[in-house]
Amino acid sequence: MTTLEVDGLSKSYGTVRALDDVSFDVPGGDLFGFVGSNGAGKTTTMRIILGVLRADAGSVRWNGAPVDLEVRTRIGYMPEERGLYPRMKVGEQLVYLARLHGMSKADATVAMEHWTEVLGVAERRGDEVEKLSLGNQQRVQLASALVHGPDILVLDEPFSGLDPVAVAVMSDVLRERAAAGVPVIFSSHQLELVERLCDRVGIVKSGRLVANGTIDELRATERLQWRLAMTGADAPPAPDGVTIVPDGAGAWLVEAASADVAQAALASAVYSGTVTAFEPVRPSLTDLFRDVVSETEEAA
Amino acid sequence: MVWLIAKREFKVRTLSKASLISSLILLVLAVGGALIAKPFLVADGEPAVVQVDSSAAELVPYLDAVAGGEDAAFEFVVADVATPEDPEDLGEVSGVITGSATEPELFLPERHDALALAVAEASQAAAFDASIVSLGGDPADVAATLAESTPTVTVVGDEPTEFEESEFLAAVVVVIMLFFVLIQSASVIMMGVVEEKSSRVVEILLSTVRPGTLLGGKVLGVGLYAIVQAAAMVLPILFGAWYLEILARYDIDVQTLLVNFSVWFVLGFSIFTVLFGGLAALVSRQEDLGAVTTPMMFLMMIPLYLAIYLVPLSPEGTATRVLTQVPFFAPFMVPMRTAFGSIETWEIVLAVVLCLVSIPVLVWVAGRVYSRAVLNTGGRMKLGEALRG
Repeated sequence: MTTLEVDGLSKSYGTVRALDDVSFDVPGGDLFGFVGSNGAGKTTTMRIILGVLRADAGSVRWNGAPVDLEVRTRIGYMPEERGLYPRMKVGEQLVYLARLHGMSKADATVAMEHWTEVLGVAERRGDEVEKLSLGNQQRVQLASALVHGPDILVLDEPFSGLDPVAVAVMSDVLRERAAAGVPVIFSSHQLELVERLCDRVGIVKSGRLVANGTIDELRATERLQWRLAMTGADAPPAPDGVTIVPDGAGAWLVEAASADVAQAALASAVYSGTVTAFEPVRPSLTDLFRDVVSETEEAA
Repeated sequence: MVWLIAKREFKVRTLSKASLISSLILLVLAVGGALIAKPFLVADGEPAVVQVDSSAAELVPYLDAVAGGEDAAFEFVVADVATPEDPEDLGEVSGVITGSATEPELFLPERHDALALAVAEASQAAAFDASIVSLGGDPADVAATLAESTPTVTVVGDEPTEFEESEFLAAVVVVIMLFFVLIQSASVIMMGVVEEKSSRVVEILLSTVRPGTLLGGKVLGVGLYAIVQAAAMVLPILFGAWYLEILARYDIDVQTLLVNFSVWFVLGFSIFTVLFGGLAALVSRQEDLGAVTTPMMFLMMIPLYLAIYLVPLSPEGTATRVLTQVPFFAPFMVPMRTAFGSIETWEIVLAVVLCLVSIPVLVWVAGRVYSRAVLNTGGRMKLGEALRG
C-alpha cells in the first residue's frame, strides 16, 4: 500500500510560526482535503512536500522513505500562484514540463494530447498560454500537474477561478486519479466541494492541524441532535435526558445522549401533536470548520 | 536535464522574432553595405591607360618605375599621338604624354595630381640619368652607390611602444563587440530568470529540478544563443571587411583576433552571466530589474572603458598590469594589451587561470543566491539575506 506521510513539519519565518508540528498521512487512493483560513499554513505544507521550501523540522515520506528529488518528479503539483511560461505554446509547454519530469519526447507528446483532450483545451495546443482565458489557463495548469502521470497529486486551490463545468471536470479527474490509486491532496475554500469529494479532511489553523479524519468522523459529535417540526402543540414535552430548544417557528432542536432517548422524545411529540419532520442534524463541514476555528481561537 | 533546459532556452531565444529580425538586419546591413560600397571604396582592377607619344618613349621605363609595375594604377602605352586639342581627342585614355623624355608635356581630361607628380618624378629621373651619361658615368653604378648609402639607426633611449593604429582599432572593435555580446547575453539571462520568477513557473520547475540545474541549463542555453548571436554579428562584419579588402590593406591578424575573441568570450560569459543570472533572482518583477542591472552595467562598462583608454596611455603601467589579472577586467584588458604587443605570455596565462579559478566561486555564489532568492516573491531581496539564507 502506498502512503504519503507528513510527519511533524514545522517552519518559522522569523518570529512567525507558519507550521507547528503538522502530521498526517494520505494513503494511495484517498482524496485528502486540506482546509483552513488564509495564511493557516496549507500552501507552506504543500511547498514543503514538493521540496520547494525546506522545513525547520519534520519530514515527508513516500512509502516509508524520505521524499527526494526522484520521488518529487513523480508528484503532480499545482502551486497556488499559477505559473506557466506566458509566451510558450500550450502543447510545447506541456511536453517540456513532462520531459522535465523524465518522460521521453514521444510519451510526453501522447500524454499532452490525452490531457488537453480530457480537460477540453485540445484546440488551444498551438496558442501561447497568455492568449488563453483565465479559466483555460487553469485547465492547462492542471494538465501540467497531470501530464507526467504522477504517482502523487498535490494541488493548491485547484478549484479557484473555475466555472461550474470546469469544477465538474476537475472533480471527475481528481476522483478518477484517486480511483487509480494515487493519493490526492488538495486545498480549497469551497467546503461543500471538499465535503462532497474528499475521503478525509484536515483542518489547519495558525500552522497547526486541528482536525484530521474522515468526514463522518469529524461530523460525529458527542451530543446527537435532531430537528423536530410539528403542528398542534406549543412545545413537545421533554423526557428525561433530553433538552429541547426552539429553532424557529414550529421547529425545535432535540438533543439527546442516545438515539433511544431521542426516540422517546419523538413518541411523546407524536402524542401531543402532528409531527411533520424528525431528522438527525449533522454539522456540515462549514459548521465544523467554523467551530474548530473559533474553538481554538477561544482556547488561545 | 540541464540539456533539456538549455535546449528550450536556446530555442526560445534564438527563434524569437526580435532576435531573428535583428540578426537579419545586421546581416543585410553588413553584407549589403559591403556589396554596395565596394565599387566606391576599392579601385577596380583595370589600370588607367596613359598614352605616351613615341617621341617620349624613353620616359616609359622611368614612368613604370614610379607608377607602374603590378597592381599599378596606370598603364603606359607607347603610341603615335597628336597633341590633343579638345577633350574628344583624348577618347578613353586617362592622359597623353608628348614632348621628349626630359621635357614631357602632359595632357589630361581633368586635373590629376597623382599622374602629374608621377610624370614629373619620371622626367626628373630621366634628366638625372641623362646628366650622368653626359658626364661620362653609368646611371646603374650611381643607382647602386646611392642604394648602399643608408644610415645605421641605433636607439639609445627607451624604444617607444609600437603603436599599430590598425591593430589598435581592430582590438577596440573586438573588445566592444565582446562587450555587446556579453551584455546582451547577461541581460537575456536576467530577463529569463525574472520571467520564470514573475510568472511563478519556477515553482513548478523547482519541484522537479534542482535550482543549480535550472540555472546551469539557462546559462548553457543562453551561452549557445550568445554564440549564435556573436557569429551573426562577427561573420557579416568579417565578410564585409574581407570583401572590401580592408583586412588585406591594414594587415590585420584576423586569426589572433578571433582566438582572442573566442577565448575571452567564453571566459567573460562564464564570469558575468553566471553571476548576473544568480543576482537576477533577487528581484521578482521585470520592473525591478533595473536595481540589479545598473551595478551590472558598471561592472562591465568600467573595465571596457579602462581597457580602451588606459591601455593605450600606459600599456605596461602597474595599474594596467594589476587590472589585467582581475577577473572582471581581464576579458577586456587582455585582448587590448595583446593588440599593443605589450603583454607577456605569463600574464595572459595567469589571467586565464585566475578567471578559470574564479568561475567555480562565482557559480557557487550565484547558485546560492539563486536558490535562496528565486522563490522569494514580493519585494526585492537583499543580497546579504540571500547569501546568509
